[in-house]
Amino acid sequence: MKILVIEDDETTGDYIAAGLREEGHSVDLLADGRDGLIRATAGDYEVLIVDRMLPGLDGVSLVKTLRGAGSKLPVLILTSLGGIDDRIDGLNAGADDYLVKPFAFGELSARVAALARRPQMRAEETVLRAGDLEMDLVRRRVTRQGQEIDLLPREFALLEHLLRRKGRVQTRTMLLEGVWDLGFDPQTNVVETHISRLRAKVDRPFERELIQTVRGAGYRIDD
Amino acid sequence: MTEPAPPAAGAADAAQALPRPGLLKSAPMRMAIGLVLLFSVISLLSLGGTYLVLRNTFDQALRDDLRQEVAGFRAAPSAAALAALVEAQARVTDPDRRIVSYLAPDGRAYGNGAIERSEEGFRIVVFDRPNTPVRESYLALTAGLHRGQLTVANSRSQIDDLGEMFATVLLLSLLPTVIFALGGGLLIARRTARRLTAVEATLDRLASGDLAARVPELPGRADDLTAIAARVDRMAEAQQQSVSALRQVSADIAHDLKTPIQRVSVLLDRLQGNAGLDPEARELARRAGAETENIVATFQSLLQIAQIEGGSPRSRFEVLDLAALAATLAEVYEPAAEEGGRRLVLEAEAPVRVNGERRLLGQVLANLIENALRHTPPGSLIELSVRESGENGGQAVLELRDNGPGIPAEERGNVLRRLYRLEQSRSTPGSGLGLSLVSVIADLHGATLELGDNAPGLVVTLRFPPVSPRPLPRGKRTGKSVS
Repeated sequence: MKILVIEDDETTGDYIAAGLREEGHSVDLLADGRDGLIRATAGDYEVLIVDRMLPGLDGVSLVKTLRGAGSKLPVLILTSLGGIDDRIDGLNAGADDYLVKPFAFGELSARVAALARRPQMRAEETVLRAGDLEMDLVRRRVTRQGQEIDLLPREFALLEHLLRRKGRVQTRTMLLEGVWDLGFDPQTNVVETHISRLRAKVDRPFERELIQTVRGAGYRIDD
Repeated sequence: MTEPAPPAAGAADAAQALPRPGLLKSAPMRMAIGLVLLFSVISLLSLGGTYLVLRNTFDQALRDDLRQEVAGFRAAPSAAALAALVEAQARVTDPDRRIVSYLAPDGRAYGNGAIERSEEGFRIVVFDRPNTPVRESYLALTAGLHRGQLTVANSRSQIDDLGEMFATVLLLSLLPTVIFALGGGLLIARRTARRLTAVEATLDRLASGDLAARVPELPGRADDLTAIAARVDRMAEAQQQSVSALRQVSADIAHDLKTPIQRVSVLLDRLQGNAGLDPEARELARRAGAETENIVATFQSLLQIAQIEGGSPRSRFEVLDLAALAATLAEVYEPAAEEGGRRLVLEAEAPVRVNGERRLLGQVLANLIENALRHTPPGSLIELSVRESGENGGQAVLELRDNGPGIPAEERGNVLRRLYRLEQSRSTPGSGLGLSLVSVIADLHGATLELGDNAPGLVVTLRFPPVSPRPLPRGKRTGKSVS
């Protein structure tokens, strides 16, 4: 995947670029906002990662200009202050996602992956599948190997969220945002306990684990 | 980060407005009263002195006059001649002015009035006039003459008039003085009081932590009070600057350390993923990573507190259902609570509307629940309730009760302080910022925060201001319990 990173802090920029390259992406790294805007509009990038605070042109204005020009390039904004204002400003400007520094690389990688495949979401799907697991969205039924699995509404929502993003890592914060619409990082292992309850019903009675823990990042469901 | 925060709600009400003494006890009024008293005493002394001197002179003149009169009568050769002389004199003398009377040795009385006296010499005689309350007083000189008794009495009305005149003069001079001095004093006192109120209100606001408070333009001309006001402003300015410098420094430190911490966190992440690492080293890397996350969380909270205090705009507020939000949070935390052997129960039936920011209120709920999970022993019951109270039922009340060890009454104000941790809770994880953040967010929402005794345990109560009436969207009912 071709990714443009605009980040003026050299060390952070290098980390992001190096990490993404390690995952097999092709990364261009720029430090100036104005240069970044020109490259973003000209190049054929699939994802843009842009820092909020930049010399030349700040991240929010950059995204606004980009959207004003009609670009649909998925954008992830990096904010330095853990603040509400930055986040909302960024999303209002047209960014698709945001990430607060410092972040685990796994979080960034998961979000970049989520952005890149966004348009794949198909609303008309009524049955979601992963391996021998089937989720019927119309009848609100989950079966595995033909056996019906009884899930609480929120367990159903959690599983649906993972199934709709099959093969992609979902971090704890992504799950809290996606399933509960909560935008903060909990101190206790709330997501872990929900996942382990879901696993107890979906995975434990069967030989193979469908819900996998991705070390340092989050969870993923696979065929 | 320039706008300082109001004090933590529910904390000690240290900065209440002190009552000011009444207008009569104010300095200008006291001064006016004092001056009036002083002036009155001086006037009394000088007028009184003058009166005494004048009266004495009048009195002396009267006496001389009487002596002369009596001396004139002494020239009469016999009692009969004296009686005739007295009669003649009496006929042309107004008894209101002078009374001449001779008591002859045969007992007959001559003259225009009868004054009977046993002894000789000067004497003040008072006549009670019939039908009038007026008491005429006379100075009488009695002398024995030709075995009879001659008395000449002069009216003292002049001297009495003198007293009245002086009383009038005293009144006329004192009355305006008293009126003008007291009236002026009252006016000045009221004007000063208004100006003082402005200064006092500013001082009260400063004392309550609102360092942006400044004394408004004082009415009237510049004087000592405006000088004091200017100094109050200067003091507040200096204080505000040092506080904001302090905040800026702490925010800068947190901000500057974020990048290196991020690098450490990334490095530890990679170390953990290193395939050649033996399990012991991997475990160390994992623990170091977890500690780094704690540092990040603390910084995050500090920065968030600073940003909210720095005047997070309320324009992002919306009317939302606090009961539904509480239900979501209870649901999120319920498995974690159960895993730790605690029971989390929600009491929220009807929608409860508050005006606020969902994300921040979610944070408040999360911090309160996490706080309860962290500081209660396994087996504890944690009850989260959202209800409406107040006269019109429009006030949202959020309450979290636990039956854990609670917080001693004298410590309740302290736990809202940043990074403050109870001695007994130092062994449990947490940054000591959870409740501070709750307090700051409560302030932003205009909600009051109270920590109380659940006997046993802690009860945290948040009371939100009422929302202007507008119905919530339908279908947002929340379940009764999640546990």
